[in-house]
Amino acid sequence: MTPLHWIGESLREVLGRVPLGIVRLLFVGTLVALLIWVLFLPKERTTPPGGAKRWDENLKFGAAVALLIQIAIYSLL
Amino acid sequence: MVFAATSPLSAADYFIVVVYLVGTMALGVWIGRRIKTGSDFFLGGRRLPWWAIGMSLVATDIGGTDMIGVGGAAYKHGLSVSNFEWIGCVPAMIIGAFIFIPFFYRTGVVTVPEFLERRYNVSVRTVMASCWLIFMACNLGIMLLASAKMMSSVFGWNAIMCVWVTAILVGLYTCMGGLAAVVYTDMIQCTVMIVGCLCLLVIGLIKVGGIDAFNDRLAEANQERRAAVEAVESDSERNELTSLILPVDTPSPFPWTGIYFGLALILSPAYWIGNQAIVQRSLGARSEFDAKASYIWGALLKNIIPLIIAVPGLLAIVLLPDLDDGDLALPHLVGELLPAGLRGLFVAAFLAALMSSIDSYLNSAATLVSNDFYKRFYDNNVTDERLLTIGRLTTVGLVAWAILFALMLTRISESSGIYSVFQTLMAFFQGPALAVLGIGVLWKGATGRAAFISLILGIATAISLYALNQGTVLERLGWQPLFQISDPFLYFSIWAFLVTAISLVAISLIGGPDSQDKSQYVFGGAKGVEQ
Repeated sequence: MTPLHWIGESLREVLGRVPLGIVRLLFVGTLVALLIWVLFLPKERTTPPGGAKRWDENLKFGAAVALLIQIAIYSLL
Repeated sequence: MVFAATSPLSAADYFIVVVYLVGTMALGVWIGRRIKTGSDFFLGGRRLPWWAIGMSLVATDIGGTDMIGVGGAAYKHGLSVSNFEWIGCVPAMIIGAFIFIPFFYRTGVVTVPEFLERRYNVSVRTVMASCWLIFMACNLGIMLLASAKMMSSVFGWNAIMCVWVTAILVGLYTCMGGLAAVVYTDMIQCTVMIVGCLCLLVIGLIKVGGIDAFNDRLAEANQERRAAVEAVESDSERNELTSLILPVDTPSPFPWTGIYFGLALILSPAYWIGNQAIVQRSLGARSEFDAKASYIWGALLKNIIPLIIAVPGLLAIVLLPDLDDGDLALPHLVGELLPAGLRGLFVAAFLAALMSSIDSYLNSAATLVSNDFYKRFYDNNVTDERLLTIGRLTTVGLVAWAILFALMLTRISESSGIYSVFQTLMAFFQGPALAVLGIGVLWKGATGRAAFISLILGIATAISLYALNQGTVLERLGWQPLFQISDPFLYFSIWAFLVTAISLVAISLIGGPDSQDKSQYVFGGAKGVEQ
């Protein structure tokens, strides 16, 4: 067994012990963290230069919907 | 093939296909009349709206390889292949929309490698431009082969003829209309693709007996497969066919470790932030806001893509359980399920997916050749009009190459799925590319010399791992495989990324700072492109 095999085997063994429930939390948690980041972005970065004239001109809305769908998918499947 | 005999295209099918092709060509050629300069050709004159770019992003990402390959991978491995469209796209697109795309847009660059020269040096630019060019050129051939395979198996058309006709049609409107033609035809192609695939999905679900019956039969299929593969030990109640998150010891190539660390954290951001074919269209947006909005719109659309291209692969598990080759799942499903007329719509959808990717890679590869090689090394003072000619000539040359490469591929063994070949090519340099790009814009201490060396090291790492995973090499060395899963391309990208990132930081710290100030190309670097 080479050092490369030893590294691979060790990593596989450690990561293989992580329960899939925790892994799911990792996936969903990452998406939730991203959603929170999007919601707290300053308006100047998510709206046109003159500001949003309609609610849908704020890109936070679209990004949040996309992420919420992802959160639902990775929570269920 | 069987379905060529049992389900030939009707006159209605041909009518739909011809209407689609003529409409696409006409639009592309009509747009081509307005192309006067290189800027028009490569960036659509920076007049493109967000809604067209967003649909173009999705259409470009879903090629003929995906329609066949994702369906085939779903047939072989289950729903987990959808990770490539979900967590492998949406988060990176949103991060790209709010951080990287506006940053690139403000620099006014035409290509991502051009940005890398401004941030680092010309060597880094040249290596990355070469990598993308090789990748795109190979991909053009792979996509053409996928189309030939599909059309040959379903309709009995001559595969060689399919390669020629597809390449010439796409080459014609891309050559005339440039990026604007690519984006607007992509928009139509995205619509046709979604509608065509939705028809297959709905009819398939009706045929199976509804969603509940579909789930039950998938669970049965899963049990049968598990019984056949005794090696799988733990978690025996789990239905891997309908799970996105698979254990480390899964027999499929998509364990959660590869999906999370390799795909979501590395390959996906590298693709959506560093892929010239993707980023280029947002650089052609009419405003910075449109560039951002296009990515958000694309992310929303991405949510539905697995439903229309991966789920049909699952339907094939239930309806056609005995296929030898997963890549034939979708073609056979079309022949089995769709009636005359709708089959034509699906063919149009397939052609749409195929053409939308080929046109994008053609245009972007021509952009790289014209801007990163011709203009950079041969004629720095080239006029915009001359650059347009160079771009068009390059497009013609690339079409010829794509045909040649596709014909060469037909002689290569088909034991490996098309999708895996495609992913392996990207995994060679996407990890290193992301490390260099990401660290470059986040840390002003990263130097050009370090970026160049670490980029080479990272690519060499990925290629070495690939070589060390080949049966003949292992046999000669007397080694066991380094990776336990089949097609471990996700793992190549992780290790290549890590090697590049660590060496970039280490060499930068040891070697000292660059002589030139590049801080305007670093986030928070005060003046320049940062808001």
